[in-house]
Amino acid sequence: MKRLLPSLRAKKRYLAFELISEVPVSRSDLVKEVMFSASSLLGDVTASECDIKVLGFEESKGIIQCSHTKVKETRASLATLTRVNGKRATVHILGTSGTIKRATEKFLQNTVFEPEIRINSKHLKNNNLGRIQES
Amino acid sequence: MGKPKFYDFCVHAVPDGENTVEQLAALARHLGYSGIALANHSDKLPQSQPALPSTNEFEVYRGIELVEENPSKLHGLIGKFRKSVDVLIVHGGSETVNRAALENPRVDILNHPAFAKSSGLNQVLAKSAAENDVAIGLTIRPLLHSRGSGRVRLLSDLRANLDLARKYDVSLVLSSGAMSCFDLRSSMETLALAEVCGLEENEALEAITVVPERIISRNRPGPGHIREGIEVLEEGDYC
Repeated sequence: MKRLLPSLRAKKRYLAFELISEVPVSRSDLVKEVMFSASSLLGDVTASECDIKVLGFEESKGIIQCSHTKVKETRASLATLTRVNGKRATVHILGTSGTIKRATEKFLQNTVFEPEIRINSKHLKNNNLGRIQES
Repeated sequence: MGKPKFYDFCVHAVPDGENTVEQLAALARHLGYSGIALANHSDKLPQSQPALPSTNEFEVYRGIELVEENPSKLHGLIGKFRKSVDVLIVHGGSETVNRAALENPRVDILNHPAFAKSSGLNQVLAKSAAENDVAIGLTIRPLLHSRGSGRVRLLSDLRANLDLARKYDVSLVLSSGAMSCFDLRSSMETLALAEVCGLEENEALEAITVVPERIISRNRPGPGHIREGIEVLEEGDYC
């Protein structure tokens, strides 16, 4: 099918986030939990307008896509995420951007994190998020 | 105008909560706060006063959340702790406690006033809260942990209190009420959640920046302070 014209495509925002969790979490569990907390807080109608997608998630850092008019709602619903797979976890949004490239460059490279609380503290140096193209 | 400073005015550390003050302070700092108030419940106080890890950019204020059902005992506790803490919070939750807290100008914040089938406030209480400058504390922890009908109740209570607070000009304080590190949320997320739950943008911002600062400046008067309304600005010999 022919791709939509750039001017007709839905505008998005990309939220770079880190997950602070008790145990390492898999991407599919996180996706499930993000969707559940969004539809539980906002309702299915608003959650669908938010257009939330977890794009990349590796080593407890990643990018979530949402509609550019619904950043606030998306942030709020991510704040209500308390558990992933029964283990406690918190999503901390590092920043928002209009492109994946910028979000990765600005927020996901060489972010420093204080050690004591972090359970799985690993620096994300060569992240693979750059590989994800807007599709 | 510089970047606003965010404060989280209700954080519980061991033995009340799960994590130590140092851990909570480190995470809160990472999440973008300029200060937190350690407000353990008064029935679960540690044996000795913990040292507060404050630095120049980040301060841990000494606070307490009083838990007492009997109003006259509550007033006694307020008198006992007022001098030694920066932030005095009352753990609301019954008609008599809410009333006692809101009628005492020495109280800073009344947390979660809601009780069975009531949002906990009415026009009489809201008026006295405004007169005595007692803020209503909105803790986000219950909102995060409940789902479905429980959260619906919390949100409708919040709306009812918000309407009263707007009408009578009562100040609000937005805090995490964290029992562990996993209950802390960054300032931006707290603001977004508050806005989704019905607060206006400026109200939410004020509740997390201006009102806490005002509480601290009220309880930590400057060196020239003599009594409320009287302050020495400049000393000199005017004969």
